Amino acid sequence: MRDVAFGQYYPTDSFIHRLDPRTKLLASIVYIVAIFLCVDYYGYAVCFAFLVMMILVSRIPVKSVLKTVKAVLFVVLITVVINVLFYSDGNPYWEWWVIRITDAGLIFASKMAMRLIFLVIATSLVTLTTTPMNLTDGLESLMTPLKLIRFPVHDVAIIMSIALRFIPSFIEEIDKIMMAQKARGAAFDNGGLIKRAKALLPVLIPLFVSAFRRADELAMALDARCYNATDKRTKMKKLTLTWRDAVAALATAIFLAAVILLKIGFFGLLPVIP
Amino acid sequence: MQIEVKDLSCVYSEKTPFEKRALTDVSFSVEAGQSVGIVGCTGSGKSTLIQHLNGLIKLKTGKVSVLDIDLSAKKPDLRALRKGVGMLFQYPEYQLFADTVAADVKFGPQNFGMTKEEAEDAAREAVALVGLDYDEIKDRSPLDLSGGQKRRVAIAGVLAYRPKILILDEPTAGLDPAGKKEMLHLINSLKNRFVETVITVSHNMDEIAEFCRRVLVLGGGKLLYDTTPEELFYTCDVEKLGLTLPHAVRIVKGLEERGISLPRVLTEEALSKALVDYLGGKDHA
Repeated sequence: MRDVAFGQYYPTDSFIHRLDPRTKLLASIVYIVAIFLCVDYYGYAVCFAFLVMMILVSRIPVKSVLKTVKAVLFVVLITVVINVLFYSDGNPYWEWWVIRITDAGLIFASKMAMRLIFLVIATSLVTLTTTPMNLTDGLESLMTPLKLIRFPVHDVAIIMSIALRFIPSFIEEIDKIMMAQKARGAAFDNGGLIKRAKALLPVLIPLFVSAFRRADELAMALDARCYNATDKRTKMKKLTLTWRDAVAALATAIFLAAVILLKIGFFGLLPVIP
Repeated sequence: MQIEVKDLSCVYSEKTPFEKRALTDVSFSVEAGQSVGIVGCTGSGKSTLIQHLNGLIKLKTGKVSVLDIDLSAKKPDLRALRKGVGMLFQYPEYQLFADTVAADVKFGPQNFGMTKEEAEDAAREAVALVGLDYDEIKDRSPLDLSGGQKRRVAIAGVLAYRPKILILDEPTAGLDPAGKKEMLHLINSLKNRFVETVITVSHNMDEIAEFCRRVLVLGGGKLLYDTTPEELFYTCDVEKLGLTLPHAVRIVKGLEERGISLPRVLTEEALSKALVDYLGGKDHA
């Protein structure tokens, strides 16, 4: 369990690590929009290139980045299979009952897969390069306009930061409980699906018990320090935009412009591909 | 030899920025019947070491063999190993999960292949060993018990499958002084008639001084000393290792500085006897 990394912060120093979290969040939203704007492989090539560039700049080993894809690989595979089998347009290569494998279906499925993978990598790049603290600060700052409609921005932010803060603690806790039960002869990695699910009970129950205990203790500790989420709270580390953010914003803007230009066909200068 | 460890090294999350060297070339062996204490400050590798003895961490470098099961083999018989080596983690009451005490105590025995009846008998015996009334407690939820009772039930859950070696990680952490004393006496009584070998990890040097005949000192993932408590507390610079001295030893050393030399005692009981002897007053005793 110790090595689980669904986008857990990866501590190194890079251009992207030093960006303001707001820049990263907004850029990732722009990127996601761009993925869905793409119509042909030119667009996906540009998205891919931009993603590779970001990974290289972030100095995070490709292996760690790909690990995050592994977590959603199953979803991607199902999407691909369903799209390949049931896509109804295009010239069929093979047909049987409701199943039609067509050229358009294959192209669509490949695009779908790329969309999902790019999306996961792009979002996990944000969490890989941003500490949970910074991430919530950034989100809080971006959500500030919602205060106008009396949305409890600060409460939501603190809930999020607590949730993020406790992910590693829970992983550690699961680790400990699993070891204790393994020592008592529990086996987690054999048997069918139901047997395996049942084998997890001795881990899940103590985990929930301890989660509630921790929540209780934390609430008490917050209370004891007279914590309340008023607007008057100040921050030790204020978010500030620097030249890096300007550079990042510019790069993202160029990227978005390229994708939009490709969408409108680059004024007919490029040969048409699917 | 019941336990043999040779050149054991362990690195967590190798080749990532989270890389952490936990153990470096640790070697020692333990014979049946010994009671061994493992001490060292936080992060010295104690937990990692004992987890290796139970096959909970995959052995990468070095050799470990416990109860004639070679852990460096390709597929060691982990079930037999874990049945033979009972392991009690820190705060073991947090691993209780079943809806009744009986079911929780029987969890281990049943995992190790005992039949229902055998497990029932084993559970009854184990719960009695830790000083609780089986019939009274068996149908209660373990979560409703008091802290001390929970810990006893957790220990019973380990004893129920009759391990030959018992490994305890901070068995007295979080207990009140009376609870601590009871726990130590329980462990000590087990050592004499139920389990062969006891390995105790502890921060409390008084406990180590009183109950262990041998101490392994870990520091920075290395085995620094493998000696008797007497040697350790009287000749080594224990405080430099981030450890404290037992009370009795501190008093003996303090008196020595003031010119009163006493024998090298380890426990408070022995200290009071030594003091009485020193004062030469048999009538004081």
